[in-house]
Amino acid sequence: MERALELPIAALSAAPVSDPGEAARAELPLVLAARAGNARAFTELYGRWSRTVHGIVLASVPKQDVDDLVQDVFLQAFRSLSALRDDLAFGGWLLRIARNRAADYHRRATPTEPLEADVAAPGDAEEQRAREALDAIRALPPAYRETLVLRLVEGMTGPEISARTGLTPDSVRVNLHRGMKLLRECLGGGGAA
Amino acid sequence: MSDEYLWDGGGKPDPEVARLEALLGRYRQSAPFREPEQQASTSRHGRAVWIGLAAALVLTAVVGLTLLLRPAVEGWDVTALEGAPRIGHKDVRDRARLPVGGRLATDAGSRASLRIGLIGEAEIGPESSVRLVRAAATDHRLALERGSLRARIWAPPRLFFVDTPSATAIDLGCEYTLDVDAGGAGLLRVVSGWVAFDDDGRESFVPAGAACRTRPGTGPGTPWFEDASDSFQSALGRIDARPADPALRAQALATLLAEARPQDGLSLWHLLARLPAGERGPVFDRLAQLVPQPEAVTREKVLRGERAALDASWDALGLGVTTWWRVWKGSGPPR
Repeated sequence: MERALELPIAALSAAPVSDPGEAARAELPLVLAARAGNARAFTELYGRWSRTVHGIVLASVPKQDVDDLVQDVFLQAFRSLSALRDDLAFGGWLLRIARNRAADYHRRATPTEPLEADVAAPGDAEEQRAREALDAIRALPPAYRETLVLRLVEGMTGPEISARTGLTPDSVRVNLHRGMKLLRECLGGGGAA
Repeated sequence: MSDEYLWDGGGKPDPEVARLEALLGRYRQSAPFREPEQQASTSRHGRAVWIGLAAALVLTAVVGLTLLLRPAVEGWDVTALEGAPRIGHKDVRDRARLPVGGRLATDAGSRASLRIGLIGEAEIGPESSVRLVRAAATDHRLALERGSLRARIWAPPRLFFVDTPSATAIDLGCEYTLDVDAGGAGLLRVVSGWVAFDDDGRESFVPAGAACRTRPGTGPGTPWFEDASDSFQSALGRIDARPADPALRAQALATLLAEARPQDGLSLWHLLARLPAGERGPVFDRLAQLVPQPEAVTREKVLRGERAALDASWDALGLGVTTWWRVWKGSGPPR
């Protein structure tokens, strides 16, 4: 008898990082200070990671809720730092919190809360094109949409995306190339192109 | 054009990438962090959180009430592309509105474009009939009664659905064609992105470059890449038709496995859950030959239908990770 292919809902996860990078080692004093309750150290960490977290959340959550969700992610991280077992894995841990919060956002969404509420004001053609482009990116598979948001919205370079997400440079390059190819196809027929 | 500009901003600028950067930069992160130290005092922090929560509750109530009271979308815009499509008994000469519950029909000499709310558009081919089932923010739904449509969606997954007599096409982003014949059988072909084809829990996941048939009474068939050999496609069709004669089944399966390429793992993976137990083993063995399986994927686990093993086996196909559509799986509206 055929069984439905009921695959488990799993948190979106970054590719495994086999070795902590230079950036992780450089941040270690900040992570240790933040763990000890130093809020300024944590604010410094925010400055280093906020673009990445913002990009990952923006890749799937409506724009009007992104800033609040990003704040929530960092507040949760600040309050839970004692639970971090490997101080060198701060970045990966932070991004897992971000992806889990984004997934929670959608699980809690009800039919009266439209998921695609990014609608531009009438007459604002440029804003409308921007919304359509962002929606087209959000329609791509997660690996491509996150990488493209980090590149095209947050202005991060491929090497920066690799360092922040833990993906290898080759993986980032492939995601950018394939994602951009799909995006061109989506937009080429007369959306925001 | 090289990817160097896309990679690190170096080299000659790619005009489209540069245009998108300029367009999308407005959404860049800019909010400062509210230092926990600024809320360090328990009472100040508590009050700040309380005020924030109260404001959020008020705002949510206002927004929620506004959404509930907002008039439902009255229908979708229709544009005649060729000839005179009809809505009910009225010809569409240029533009019209298709109301919820209304039917848009084309004859041999007409085609129409249908704007799908704010999230996409569909072209309705000749000799076609579609009915607008629902036009809600989280459920944009058409029924394709016969004929063809080509849809292009620029929204997050699972907001656009097309009911056919034998399966529902669930858009996972972003462009596909769908044909339904007079008997209710359908053919889905994905141009870009992904589409899930579903009928009461029998699911097929169809990526770009692949197709999938659906038949009344059996639902979605096994998807295949359209550049697979004719012998492979023919054998797959015979397997999906479920012939009662075991000799015919064995012959079709043998041809399918012999003709399979690594990318045909898409079809083999779907067959793992659809074939009788005795036939799954050879399918997995061939899949494992074509596509190296991770250590966690053993023959026994896959034949038992263990979720983690099937997940990992799919990931090995290189079509993208399994988790993304499963995150969306619970968010679609009930039919």
